[in-house]
Amino acid sequence: MPTTPIFITCSPRPLVGRTLVARLLSEFLLLKNGTVAAFDINLKEPSLLDYLPRITETAEIDNTYGKMALMDRIIVNDGIAKVIDLGFHAFDEFFKMSEEIGFLKEAARRGVSPVILFVADSDRVSMRGHAMLKQQIPATARVIINNEYVLRGEIPAAFAGDRMLRIGALPVFLKTYIDRETFSFTSYLRNEKDQSTELSQWIRSNYVSFRELELSLILQGS
Amino acid sequence: MAKPVVIVVGADKGGVGKTTVSRTLLDYFSANNVPTRAFDTESPRGTLRRFHPDITEIVDMTTAADQMKIFDTLNAVSPSVTVIDVRAGLLSPALASLRDIGFLDAAKSGQITFAVFHILGPSIASLDEIAETAGFMQGAKYFLVKNFINNTSFFEWDQATYNSYFHRIKDATELTIPKLNEMAYEQVEVASVPFLKFVANKRFNDEAANYSFVLRGYVRHWLVNVWSEFDRIKLTDLVGTGKSDSGGE
Repeated sequence: MPTTPIFITCSPRPLVGRTLVARLLSEFLLLKNGTVAAFDINLKEPSLLDYLPRITETAEIDNTYGKMALMDRIIVNDGIAKVIDLGFHAFDEFFKMSEEIGFLKEAARRGVSPVILFVADSDRVSMRGHAMLKQQIPATARVIINNEYVLRGEIPAAFAGDRMLRIGALPVFLKTYIDRETFSFTSYLRNEKDQSTELSQWIRSNYVSFRELELSLILQGS
Repeated sequence: MAKPVVIVVGADKGGVGKTTVSRTLLDYFSANNVPTRAFDTESPRGTLRRFHPDITEIVDMTTAADQMKIFDTLNAVSPSVTVIDVRAGLLSPALASLRDIGFLDAAKSGQITFAVFHILGPSIASLDEIAETAGFMQGAKYFLVKNFINNTSFFEWDQATYNSYFHRIKDATELTIPKLNEMAYEQVEVASVPFLKFVANKRFNDEAANYSFVLRGYVRHWLVNVWSEFDRIKLTDLVGTGKSDSGGE
C-alpha cells in the first residue's frame, strides 16, 4: 500500500525562506494531486496561512492538547500529502516531542513517511539544529534546502553529504513580486503566456525538484 | 522452590503517587514474565484493583483474617511475588504489624525476600518518616522513591537538608520516578487499563482502542524511564528471575 508523505519545512532560524518552500511545495502537491493538507505553526512571521488560507490550518504545540490535535491528525495514512510549516520558535519543542513519543516509529507502522526539509543557514544555531536532526532523523528522511538567497552559494561543510534540494535566488524585484499574499505560483504558470520568463523557469525548476523528491520517496518505500 | 518475595509499597502521606508506583511495578513484572499477585489495602474500593483486577485482591490489613490471606499463602508455588499497596498513612503501622507477626524476623533470617518502596512526598514532614520506617528495615531492601508528580525538587537545592534525610540511612537505595505528562496520566485513568495496555493501544479485554498516539508516546517514554530505574536496582534479581533488562517499549 502506498505511504502518505508528511513534509516538514523547518529551521531554528527565522527568515530563511522556510514558508516560501512550504508554499511552493503545497502548491505543487495541490496541482499534482488535487489535494493537500497544510499546517501552519508560526508566530508573527509571514506564514503559510496568509498565503494559502483555503488549504491551511493553524496548529500549535505549546501545550499537550495542541500537540494531540496536530500529531493525531497527521499520523493517518489517508493518501493526502501533508505540509507542515514549522516556525523557528517551535523547532526545538517539535523535535523533542517527536523523539519522546516515537513519531518516526509510529509513522512507519502506520504507512506515513515524514520528510524533514531543513532550510539551511550558515549561522551556528542552524548548524546545531542540523546536528540534532542528524541524531534523530535517518538520512533517508532528511533533505537540506539550499536556499541560494540565504546561503549565497556557500554551503557549510556540516551540510555536505546530506541530500540537497536547491532553491535558486531570484532577483529582488521578483522576490518582492512573489512575496505578495495574493501571488500563486501555479496560477502564474497557467496564466503567463511567455513560459521562458525567469520566474516561470524558477517555478518549474522547483516543481521538478519536488517531483524528483516524491519519486525518490516512492522508490524508498518499494 | 523459589523464595517468596513480598514488596510493600507505602507512604505516610496521601497523594504522593504510591499506587502509580505499584502499577508500574506490576507492569514491569508482567513484561518480565514474573508471576505476581497484588493486594490493595484501599478497602473497600481499591484503586490498584481497578487497573489490575485479575491479579489484585482488596484486603483490610488491620484484620487477622486478611493478614492470614496474605501471609499464610506466601509459600504457594506461584505466584512467588506479592505486591502490597498499603493505604496512605498506614506504612509504619503496617510494618509494625509485620514485626508483631514475626514476618520481619523471617525476612531477617532469609526465609523471605522483603522489600519496601517508600514513596516520598516533597515536604519535610514526609522526609521525617524515613527515620521511622528505617527502624523496621533490618534484613529488608529499602527503596526511597522520589516521585516527581509535580515540579518538586526534594530539597536537592539545599545540600544540608538533602543529606540529612537521604544519606542518613545506610543501605537505602534512592529511586527517581520522573513526571508523567498530566493529560497522559488522566487518559490512562479514564481508560482504566494498565500502563502497558494503554501504550499498546488496547482496552482491558485486549480489544483495539483509539487512544491518542501522542499520549501513548508520552506514557511509553515515561514507563521506559521508570523501568530503567527498576533495572538499575536489579529488581528482577531481587525477585529471583535474574534478568536485568525489561520487556522494552
